[in-house]
Amino acid sequence: MSNSAINFQELLDRVDNDRQLLYELFSIFKDEFPGNLARLRDAVTRGELKEIAKLSHTFKGTLGNLAAAQAMNSAAHLEQAARIGQAAQLSAAFADFERDANSTLTELETYMAEARPA
Amino acid sequence: MKILIADDDPLSRRLLEKTLLRAAYEVVSVADGRQALTSLTEPEDAPRLALLDWMMPELDGPSVCRAVRQRHNQGYAYLILLTSRESKEDVVAGLESGADDYLIKPFNIDELKARLRCGERILELEDRLVEAREEMRFKATHDDLTSLWNRGVIMDLLARELARSQRENGSTVLILGDIDHFKAVNDTHGHLVGDQVLREVSRRMLHSVRSYDFVGRYGGEEFLIVLNNCNPDYGFKRADEIRTSINDRPIQTDAGPLRITMSFGVLVSRDWGSRPTDELLREVDAALYAAKASGRNCTMLAKPPQDREFVPAEHSVADSH
Repeated sequence: MSNSAINFQELLDRVDNDRQLLYELFSIFKDEFPGNLARLRDAVTRGELKEIAKLSHTFKGTLGNLAAAQAMNSAAHLEQAARIGQAAQLSAAFADFERDANSTLTELETYMAEARPA
Repeated sequence: MKILIADDDPLSRRLLEKTLLRAAYEVVSVADGRQALTSLTEPEDAPRLALLDWMMPELDGPSVCRAVRQRHNQGYAYLILLTSRESKEDVVAGLESGADDYLIKPFNIDELKARLRCGERILELEDRLVEAREEMRFKATHDDLTSLWNRGVIMDLLARELARSQRENGSTVLILGDIDHFKAVNDTHGHLVGDQVLREVSRRMLHSVRSYDFVGRYGGEEFLIVLNNCNPDYGFKRADEIRTSINDRPIQTDAGPLRITMSFGVLVSRDWGSRPTDELLREVDAALYAAKASGRNCTMLAKPPQDREFVPAEHSVADSH
């Protein structure tokens, strides 16, 4: 499980083994993710550093709550690049983040498909 | 205990809501700093524990903390900032804004609960301190036996009301009352029965005045009543109604029912121009003395020197003994 995007053990501890809550949190992420990612991509395209920092900061918190360490770190890296104005690194940092966030999404969608409530 | 969650991230908010509901908190959750401030400053039943995300729309977490701390008319709220900003500068800035604690996201649930328990302990301590302060304030301003205003406070209230009457061209009515033959009650039935009489007399006087009038214990068995903004034409009548409320039925004591009466002096400030408080007190005391001298259980009105006399109400002496 070392290359898993989500640390399920950590996540289950966080939700006190409440799988219904876990499903609910995944649903929230799945609903919110496309719009937030599009806004972030748009901000990167426009080079709006403040907006990039804000959106990646929110992603960092959300992904941290989901025990998605790799994607959380990518969001942190993107946020940091925006805060210190490293415009040249933004595209690469965003690409890393998008890849890791999508891996997280794929993994939680798989979980949701298997654990869909009756 | 009611707790506020303020976080614009719906996932984080839901996770916190569920965790705290499971821990038996009453949860209120909002999505921005402005709503958080509104909730924390509700005049009644505002949450006293709050988890505030650092970065939020409208107002960020530290701004909410600062705004809450600027208000001094509410009980203490224990504020915890949630942050993924972990530099020392950020932590210092968060605490300096008025937060009591902070938690780094993603947080450990056990740590969150432990920090909330810490907050509850602080709030319980604050409650006990406020309770003790209120008790001390009450003791410092009220008479132990009767729970009426004590002498110092009733004198201050009188001075304040007289000043206001002058300013607003109104009238304050001073009523000085004394229990008739109270020494005989103590000598015959003992001081405990005397205390019962003092308490019941006080209770009846309080019930006979408006909620915004003042009743204080002036001396042993002497009481000063201040009727605010009282129509001068009714001042005397009001005083005599108070007298009647004392003698219209016996007071139940451990020594059996006792018929107690009081004598009253009354002074209407508007009749006396801008005389000093001390002088008015001397005059109302003289009216009380005149009431005693004319047989007790009656009410006498103090009139200014140009028509100096003490005027009893026609009916006020009818049931004197």
